[in-house]
Amino acid sequence: MAAITKVWRTALVALGLVALAGAAAAQQSTPPGAELYELCAQCHGERGEGNQVVLAPAIAGLQEWYVVAQVRNFKGGLRGTHPADVAGLRMHPMALALETDEELKAVSAYVASLPPVYPEPTVEGGDAERGAQLYGTCVACHGPDGAGNEALGSPRLYQANDWYLLSSLQRYKNGVRASNPANANAQVMLGIAGTLADEQAMKDVVAYIMSLRK
Amino acid sequence: MLERIPSVIDVLVPQASTYAGDIDGLFTIILVSVGIWFFASEIVFFWLIFRFRKKDGVRAQYVSGEKQSEKKWVTYPHLAILLFDVLIVVAAVRVWYDIKQDLPPAERTVRVIGQQWAWTFVHPGPDGEIDTADDIAKVNELHVEVDRLHHYKLESKDVLHNFSVPVFRLKQDAIPGRVITGWFTPTKTGEWDVQCAEICGVGHGLMGARIHIETAEQHAAWMAQESPLQLAANAAQKQEEE
Ligand code: HEC
Ligand code: HEC
Ligand SMILES: [Cu+2]
Repeated sequence: MAAITKVWRTALVALGLVALAGAAAAQQSTPPGAELYELCAQCHGERGEGNQVVLAPAIAGLQEWYVVAQVRNFKGGLRGTHPADVAGLRMHPMALALETDEELKAVSAYVASLPPVYPEPTVEGGDAERGAQLYGTCVACHGPDGAGNEALGSPRLYQANDWYLLSSLQRYKNGVRASNPANANAQVMLGIAGTLADEQAMKDVVAYIMSLRK
Repeated sequence: MLERIPSVIDVLVPQASTYAGDIDGLFTIILVSVGIWFFASEIVFFWLIFRFRKKDGVRAQYVSGEKQSEKKWVTYPHLAILLFDVLIVVAAVRVWYDIKQDLPPAERTVRVIGQQWAWTFVHPGPDGEIDTADDIAKVNELHVEVDRLHHYKLESKDVLHNFSVPVFRLKQDAIPGRVITGWFTPTKTGEWDVQCAEICGVGHGLMGARIHIETAEQHAAWMAQESPLQLAANAAQKQEEE
């Protein structure tokens, strides 16, 4: 009887010590990006391939500076706070779940390190040839090959899902993704998207962007 | 009547609506009546254990609980508890009727829209009516005027949510496809939490908003500043200046 009690007591003390050590370790270090990414995977997928059902785009292999900037935008209320922005309002609280800027950077680095998945195009009715003409306006910032330009804050485009590019252009144009005047980069795209006359023009330019994949 | 019962809850979360005291009163009634029976039964229990403890020369007896004199130890408390239950139910139904079934006429109406994972509040602009051009839509920010009876029209864009304002002691499910009307009258100025109280997906825990309860002057000033007509006028003026 006494022996059993002693075993129990030792086990409890040991368990307590382990818990304490665990708590101390958790407080000190930022969890690795892969671990933080488990939350993101619920919508963006294990490989960062995106999931249209929840409106989450492919993010695997996006430029690290762009991921950091966008997640900060979501966290700081610069993106995803318009009442009509269904997709953005879903992402906004997820950025809030990253408590420190270290966590934000760690998970962004992980996202950037994932190999790009180039999801299949799903938008129909776009004409890449007409889109090539329209893309002339975009070259200055997104580059002739769509690779983006860090200095201008403009991302690589062709890795994303075409439905997401289309929806982003629509939401830039009607202000939903550019509702906060403090988000200067989104304001730039608000102006640019305004030059695309209608949905057809947007589909055309998106079809061209998809053709830039190598 | 119930609101006059002192409450321990408002030490932790202040009461800021006309019916918050009624809800807390119900909690107190339940706490006290359940508490009385808890202590009464524990006292009897331990008294019995002590009274019939092991004694030299006394054999333990087997009690089958069939005799009237034995059964009354169960029946009487049972009846008494039922009586207390009736008390609780009567008090609860009165409060439920006031808060959920009765709908006093509105002085203001706000639209409350839940979605994954944010609250949108559509406030009437200076004209005092919703669904007009000067409505003020805000994400995660609700502005109301103290001592005014508000109706809320609660909707959901996607799944179940629950509009919960702890300082009001208000909780109401939002159900996709339905517009649910309810009411509240704020009684205390300040800024407090609004939360979602129905699991609605991964972002549920982060679906918090703030309610700003303002005096008439503060509220009018906020409205003047945020009204879309005013914002448009400001923008036009800015353009002229440039
Ligand atoms: C609940 C679903 C959900 C979760 C979880 C989620 N996201 Fe998102 N995310 C979205 C949606 C929806 C969008 C699209 C927003 C839009 O269209 O404006 C998005 C957009 C993004 C973008 C912008 C992509 C671009 O091309 O501009 C980045 C970057 C991003 N998410 C990173 C993350 C990271 C990192 C995590 C984990 C910490 C995460 N997301 C977790 C739903 C989610
Ligand atoms: C003046 C520079 C500039 C030009 C020209 C420009 N863009 Fe952009 N674009 C940006 C910047 C900066 C961003 C990042 C905006 C943000 O942070 O929301 C962006 C973002 C985008 C996005 C969102 C990408 C994502 O992953 O969320 C799309 C889609 C896009 N641009 C398409 C276009 C198209 C199509 C054109 C030509 C019609 C164009 N852009 C022209 C600067 C530019
Ligand atoms: Cu919820």
